Amino acid sequence: MGLLNYITATSLDEDYAHVSQERQRTADCDADAADAVAKRRPGTVALTVLAVFGVLVATAAVQTARNAEQSASSRESLVGQVNARADQLDRQRAAARRLRSEIAALRESDLDATTEGRSVQSRLDRLGVLTGGAPVRGPGVQVVVDDAPGARSPKFQVQGPDLQKLANGLWTVGAEAIAINGQRLTNLSAIRDAGSAITVNYVSLRRPYTVSAIGNQKQMGADLLDTAGGQTWATLQSFGLKFDVNTEDDMLLPAARRVTLRYAHQPERLR
Amino acid sequence: MIAVLGLMLGVLLGLFLQPDVPIWLEPYLPIAVVAALDAVFGALRAFLDGIFDDKVFVVSFVSNVLIAALIVYLGDKLGVGGQLSTGVIVVLGIRIFSNVAAIRRHIFHA
Repeated sequence: MGLLNYITATSLDEDYAHVSQERQRTADCDADAADAVAKRRPGTVALTVLAVFGVLVATAAVQTARNAEQSASSRESLVGQVNARADQLDRQRAAARRLRSEIAALRESDLDATTEGRSVQSRLDRLGVLTGGAPVRGPGVQVVVDDAPGARSPKFQVQGPDLQKLANGLWTVGAEAIAINGQRLTNLSAIRDAGSAITVNYVSLRRPYTVSAIGNQKQMGADLLDTAGGQTWATLQSFGLKFDVNTEDDMLLPAARRVTLRYAHQPERLR
Repeated sequence: MIAVLGLMLGVLLGLFLQPDVPIWLEPYLPIAVVAALDAVFGALRAFLDGIFDDKVFVVSFVSNVLIAALIVYLGDKLGVGGQLSTGVIVVLGIRIFSNVAAIRRHIFHA
């Protein structure tokens, strides 16, 4: 507090008082100097300094305004660049999609031309459904799971292992194809925790999690509750987590993203 | 009267010429302006107290501006530029406020 008091007490430069006392003393002994005391008004020097002050203020203001303009325009150009790049990305994605369907159509027409090709095509279709390389549709169950309402601690939130157990339970009761939030499970899929999110096929998912499984819709839902995964979820349900099983007559599960194998390859004699 | 004239002249000159501030000087301009503001308010208060002096005003103005700029420069070199600027602004702000309070007492007698 002493410092603040000192600052407020000496807010006026002490020199003013010093100089005025000095003047007073000389005026007392010298009559001529008395005029000088009376005429203590700002002179040309003060005018110059004030003019300098004015220039300083105006320059600072102008500079700040100019900088604001510059930063605004640079921000605008950045936003423009972001939008342009996003558009470009969209266009290229659309082109990739188009080319992919073109490839599929070409392959199909090529294979359709010969008997051998047709058998290869049917094998491809079958393998696609089995491996997750092709979209599938059919009846099944849809399990919607979610965190407990207002959950803060991980105990009341859906974790990666919970989804793993659920998926395993669905495989156990005869699911033929499973997708979680549109991510098709394949033999290479991993369900895991990555930070606070759960990733499937290395794609982060957002809650709620919808697990769609194609299979015997009449039995799967009931059978699921007897599996280890179903029992885990029955426990979790008692903690307040959401666990809804619905039967669906017709579901369409998308194809998984194509995965390139880097290390595994066919043995020579099978080729 | 002459003071207001000088101030107006300076502002007009600054607006008219719009001098380009060199990049290296740019960080010191705002703090210099605040320091100058303190000197000007101090001078106004001294004028109303009847103890105004040209020489003291000039010296306090120039030294205020230079020391404020120097402190910020030193802070920049030491890596505490932001904190030191804040300190300078706080001290100058308190001084300006108490000077303005004194001026107000002179003008309104309250």
